Amino acid sequence: MFINIAFRNIFRQKRRSILTGLSISAGYVLFTLTLSLIEGSYSNMIKLFTESHIGHIQIHSDDYLTRPKIYKSINDKSKIEQTLSADKRVISFTPRAYSPALSFSDEKTGPVQLIGIDPEKEPTVSRLREKITEGNFFNNSQDAGDKVHALISKGLAIKLDLEINDEFVLIGQGADGSIANDIFIVSGTVGSKSSPDKTSVYVPLTTMQAFLSLDNNVHEYALLIGDISQAQIVSQNLQSELSDFVVSPWQVVEEVFFKSMEADKQGNWVFLALVMIIVCIGVLNTIFMSVLERTREFGVMRAIGFRAVGLVTLIFTETILLTLLSLFLGILVALPLVLWFSEVGYMFPEPMDMGGIEFQHLKGELSLKVLFVPMGIVFLFATLTSALPAIRASRLTPVDALGRF
Amino acid sequence: MRKILLLLLCFPLVVNGSENQAKVIINEMEELYRGTSSEVSMTMQVETPQYSRSLGMFGQTLGKERAIFRIISPKKDKGITTLRRGKEMWNFFPKINKVIKVPPSMMIGSWMGSDFTNDDLVQETKLVEEYNLELITDSETFLIILTPKEDTVSLWGQIDYLIQKDPLLPLKQSFFDDYGTKVRELVYKDPKVFGEKLLPSAMEMIPLNKPGHITKLFYNQLKFDPEGVSEKSFSLRELKKRI
Repeated sequence: MFINIAFRNIFRQKRRSILTGLSISAGYVLFTLTLSLIEGSYSNMIKLFTESHIGHIQIHSDDYLTRPKIYKSINDKSKIEQTLSADKRVISFTPRAYSPALSFSDEKTGPVQLIGIDPEKEPTVSRLREKITEGNFFNNSQDAGDKVHALISKGLAIKLDLEINDEFVLIGQGADGSIANDIFIVSGTVGSKSSPDKTSVYVPLTTMQAFLSLDNNVHEYALLIGDISQAQIVSQNLQSELSDFVVSPWQVVEEVFFKSMEADKQGNWVFLALVMIIVCIGVLNTIFMSVLERTREFGVMRAIGFRAVGLVTLIFTETILLTLLSLFLGILVALPLVLWFSEVGYMFPEPMDMGGIEFQHLKGELSLKVLFVPMGIVFLFATLTSALPAIRASRLTPVDALGRF
Repeated sequence: MRKILLLLLCFPLVVNGSENQAKVIINEMEELYRGTSSEVSMTMQVETPQYSRSLGMFGQTLGKERAIFRIISPKKDKGITTLRRGKEMWNFFPKINKVIKVPPSMMIGSWMGSDFTNDDLVQETKLVEEYNLELITDSETFLIILTPKEDTVSLWGQIDYLIQKDPLLPLKQSFFDDYGTKVRELVYKDPKVFGEKLLPSAMEMIPLNKPGHITKLFYNQLKFDPEGVSEKSFSLRELKKRI
């Protein structure tokens, strides 16, 4: 019976109901869109960040991640490669070796981070090849001489005054305590002048191993998995299979980035709460007004014997029905919008540099969370805000109510 | 009474005597290895928990101030040369054709990845001039305790130099830091006759603060006053000579 009466009441005052409904719908759409964009820009940033170099999961020997030492290397490569190839969730993986070194050009010197990469596998994991701004990725056929090609970051090239095909010298400490020294040729530069990375030098892994007397060892495996949100779970599974090594998801590898991002996300809830409060005030206002407007109507209902509890139930039912209808409308509007943002996205005219990652694409995220968390919150608040006028209406005495207007 | 006076008078003489004797002994130790000039072929074996490697080296010395060492093997490091002249030191890397001067701040750094410091190649000759010496004698050995003089900048708070009396050969040097903790030990082993001189043919440098680390030095050949070693052999031009 209540539902029937409630429906009738809603449709009796079409203009009022539409206004109330629209404010709820608009609130929901605003909320959903904000959440979608916030989540989306983080996902986008994480994607760019992990695919730039670190990958989704990394494997090291011992505590290499926190205390890198050249001899904390992985020597049982076949076991890792077999396990990774067998795991369907792993898309690609690549071995790497690292070492600090000192670089010399004709006049200048500078510290560098030497990174040994597998020229064939590396492009399947990181965007190194895409980041080359001048020159070429490693040629497969190396020159006959013993001079080796290297990719260097643009910042380093500027610092050392190096052009493509210039020679430079690297000196480092080999894994056997020897002094590693050799001449390299710049085959390409990575990144732009403004990239924060001003020290990286990439050389083919085999060269690196010979240069540092690493034998066949590497320091790291970086891998990409199909679904990045599974990184922690896949990482745990791999860890149990590779007990001799340490498997870490990107959240651990880049702990500082991850933590600051989480903190930032928390901060965004404050912003979301503000959006929510605005939405709720709108809903409260319209519902309150619609109840006030009907004071006389409620007075008559009370006078003919409608009980106070019934009145409260009626107002609640009306609000719930109206909210549900509005949310349905809201989702019809929000879904295409969110879909567009997540699939196409908005391109900034100027790329933004956030923590060293350039990003130009404002993208949304489409997930159940983005659609239904705001829905739940809006529904809850609409219902709660209707409680106040409902209780007020139930307390009216018929005489007062009828006499007021 | 007269006896006591005599004793008092003699006492400073005794101390001086012991210091002079210590000087003589240390000088003699250094003469053992050096002569006026020498030519040495040696093997250095570096062992650490992570790696071990062996370097073949050829060296020449002239007097106390000049020395040059070239790595002969392994192939990867062949030709890397160290030249020292007095307090100055240079390394030459043939692969990159570069001479790098070892700055004073790097003097306590490792020499060629071994447990010997760059300083060890330079410092040893200065013992007599820069340290106070105290001689303790027992029936078979001399123990000379070296403490740095006031204006000496030294890495060590104390060096204990143990020397065998007969034949007169070095046995061991212990190095202490400023807090009196023993930091490293240099042990002399396997006396052999080179030319006409008997001297230890092996040395072991053991850093006590790095467990599992040891550097062994073996003299394969040692020639004193060889032909062709002169002031010219220790020039920067000679440093860059390729072998």
